[in-house]
Amino acid sequence: MTGEFIAFFVLSLLTIGGAVFMISFTRVVHMVISLGITFISIAGLYVLLGAEFVGVAQVLVYSGAISILMLFGIMLTKHDASDEGTGNTWKNWLSLIFVAALFGLMFWGIQSSVWPAPPETAASDVSNVKQIGLDVFKRYVIPFELISVLLLVALVGAIIMAKKEGNKE
Amino acid sequence: MSVSITSYLLVALILFCVGLYGALTKRNAVVVLISIELMLNAVNINLVAFSKYGLYPAVTGHIFSLFTMTVAAAEVAVALAILIALYRNKETVNVDEMDSMKR
Amino acid sequence: MDTLMQYAWLIPLFPLLAFIVIVSFGRQLKEGAAAVGILFTAVSFGLAVLTFWQRFQEGATDYKFSIDWLKVGDIVITMGFEINQLNALMLLIVTLVSLLVQIYSKGYMHGDERFPVFYQYLALFTFSMLGLVIAPNLLQIYIFWELVGVCSFLLVGYYYFKPEAKAAAKKAFIVTRIGDLGLFIGICLLFWWTGSFELSQIFDSIALGKLEPWMITLAAILIFVGAIGKSGQFPLHTWLPDAMEGPTPVSALIHAATMVAAGVYLVAATYPLFIASDAALNVVAYIGGFTAIFAASIGLTQKDIKRVLAYSTVSQLGYMMLALGVAGAAGYVAGTFHLMTHAFFKALLFLGAGSVIHAVHTQNVFEMGGLWKKMPITALTFLIGCLAIAGIFPFAGFWSKEAILGAVYEAHRYDLLFIAILAAFFTAFYMFRLFFLTFAGEARGKHEAHESPGVMTGPLLILALLAIVAGFINTPYAPVFGDWLLSGEVGTIIEDVFGAGEGHAAAWLQIAALGVSILGILLAWLMYGKRAIPSDAIPEAMPWLYQLSYRKYFVDEFYHYVVVVPLGWLGYLLNLFDKYIVDGLVSLIAKITRGIGALHGRAQNGQVQSYGAMVLFGLLLLIVAITLTAQGGGVLGIGQ
Repeated sequence: MTGEFIAFFVLSLLTIGGAVFMISFTRVVHMVISLGITFISIAGLYVLLGAEFVGVAQVLVYSGAISILMLFGIMLTKHDASDEGTGNTWKNWLSLIFVAALFGLMFWGIQSSVWPAPPETAASDVSNVKQIGLDVFKRYVIPFELISVLLLVALVGAIIMAKKEGNKE
Repeated sequence: MSVSITSYLLVALILFCVGLYGALTKRNAVVVLISIELMLNAVNINLVAFSKYGLYPAVTGHIFSLFTMTVAAAEVAVALAILIALYRNKETVNVDEMDSMKR
Repeated sequence: MDTLMQYAWLIPLFPLLAFIVIVSFGRQLKEGAAAVGILFTAVSFGLAVLTFWQRFQEGATDYKFSIDWLKVGDIVITMGFEINQLNALMLLIVTLVSLLVQIYSKGYMHGDERFPVFYQYLALFTFSMLGLVIAPNLLQIYIFWELVGVCSFLLVGYYYFKPEAKAAAKKAFIVTRIGDLGLFIGICLLFWWTGSFELSQIFDSIALGKLEPWMITLAAILIFVGAIGKSGQFPLHTWLPDAMEGPTPVSALIHAATMVAAGVYLVAATYPLFIASDAALNVVAYIGGFTAIFAASIGLTQKDIKRVLAYSTVSQLGYMMLALGVAGAAGYVAGTFHLMTHAFFKALLFLGAGSVIHAVHTQNVFEMGGLWKKMPITALTFLIGCLAIAGIFPFAGFWSKEAILGAVYEAHRYDLLFIAILAAFFTAFYMFRLFFLTFAGEARGKHEAHESPGVMTGPLLILALLAIVAGFINTPYAPVFGDWLLSGEVGTIIEDVFGAGEGHAAAWLQIAALGVSILGILLAWLMYGKRAIPSDAIPEAMPWLYQLSYRKYFVDEFYHYVVVVPLGWLGYLLNLFDKYIVDGLVSLIAKITRGIGALHGRAQNGQVQSYGAMVLFGLLLLIVAITLTAQGGGVLGIGQ
């Protein structure tokens, strides 16, 4: 019972719990709060896995930007959170069965697979961030640049689409 | 006793399944989008976990998850823009009413 | 010598040409179609006269022309035409009657909307009959035989907007079809046994004794079944009176020259086949005799002028069949002779009746009367027709009827002779009943009758003349016609079998026949002319007998309940079977397919989430499949 295990246990509980609450809550504010909890817990998991930079990015991008964006999305469309009906029920049950089946299959797959022994903790003399920086700007420089173009395009596209179509009038 | 890779994979699996269920059943399009984000996050956890416990530990998994985040951010931005445009025209964000492609 | 006969094939061609012209330009021609029809038929008639004249020369030989039509293995089916005594005579009769009917129709059908169509049908009808007459083989005969049937269907149903006409046309077609089936089977059997459709080759096979007697009997009876259908003999006679629904000139054509004569002609043309079998001859004779008396007794009570004439036709055709069936040479001559004279006076009677109907607009004889003064030409010619059919000296009917009686007497068939004389008595009675009711007494209907125009009375006068003189070509004292008819190829065969028959009655028989006819006329005069005997005496005394005759012995009703109704039920059941079992199976398959389609259609509901669920389901299947087929190890083979 190490500290790492306790931290993992708590974080994963928060992650899953937040996700489940997010799905089951009907009020917008509650949903966004539970979503934030999930994202931050995931960031904690990243840190636990020794990926500090990813964890920080997770907090910045997801907990910060995307949550707020979602909040705006909800607020801008329909925010009387009462109509979060379940649609037709047999479809939900069918989906539930499918998802459960997928879960069962994957669970069985994970459990029955033989995983390599965890490597002895390689004491990395180079920091994680530096390593990432080196890789991104050397090996993955082309995808990195493409990603920047993608972001630009997404930005422009989102503005154009969300803009009021009023210039014609 | 340290945490094994199966535990991380299990957490990711549960997260993925919850996201999938939400994406398949929720009527509000924004919630569907959030559910998809959950699924992406589950994938990210897997990537990072494998980058530590996989056969060849490296930072490649980190970089991939960073890319995923970027793409997800772009996706959310565009998706919300579409949703808002749609809402402006159809006064609804319910997924089961968005079937005008079929009609 | 035979040069003109080589062109005999042109005779049927001209009516066909008229048909084509009227079909093509009928709308533009309007009533000018009559001119086209008359002109072309007149050309045919001229050719027929020339052909007939050539045949009448001494030493004229039969002319036959044929080309190979189909070759199937060793069998060659030919097409062509043949001119012998019988053909030439029939060509003359058919073209003459058709010509006169067409001239007459110009007046009768005047103002009809479908005037060109009528002439179209008439031309086609004439063509079919002429084609039938000159055909040298059974196959060709059968083709034209069916064409005649189709034309009669078209013409009887000419007033197709009248339900009775429609029903009558269907009846004419279906009832004759029963006979046609017999003919068809007969032709098939003959072809099977002799390997040829050619009449002459079939006769040769018979002469050489290639066929068993039972074969000949069977084939002859089957061919006679065809003749029964077309000539309205007893079991299949019901269509002929109903065919009165057609326009009256058509009735004249059908009854005198074309349709019903086809049956008698067929028997006469295949006569060598019949004389080879006594049984077949007996069948012909007894059916003919029975029909003669049977139809005559129905004719006694009918009220419709055309129906009376129709039953008299059936009766007279029975006479011809009787003559043909009774005895070789004399019977053959008498039957053919009667066919010719009957063509003239029956056409005359029908056209006269048409003239009357045209004037008074009714067919019920009890609404006519007193027309003698108003329509003198029609009345006079009608009287001549009645005298001729009743067999009064010296009109045509006398000679032909007397020839038949003589032939029957010579053959010592006294039962048939009795029937024939009785039928003659009936004939005289009902014809003059008709005459007195129509023309004598005072008018009973409210109508302004007047004489018909010249185009209608002209043909009447010509036919009346023929009805008077036609008999003189074959008097007992100068049997020109009989000798001529027997000089042909078929005639030679007949004479070989029977020897030349005298074929004319003893003087006492002539007088007896004449006396019986005069007795019939007298009775009719007393009942309907002078009204010395109340005309309802017999119906009151024996109502069942009157009803039996008036309702035509309930033959129609019998057929209706024995054949039509059960067949209707059978059809209904089959229809149900078809509807619920056959169609049910088909529509079941269709419904299953559509159901599956609808199921899939519901899956395509435009709901992204449903699609997602389906994708997930597919993914699950894929995973399971891969897992099951993977060679051991975990899912996706990790960690192997």
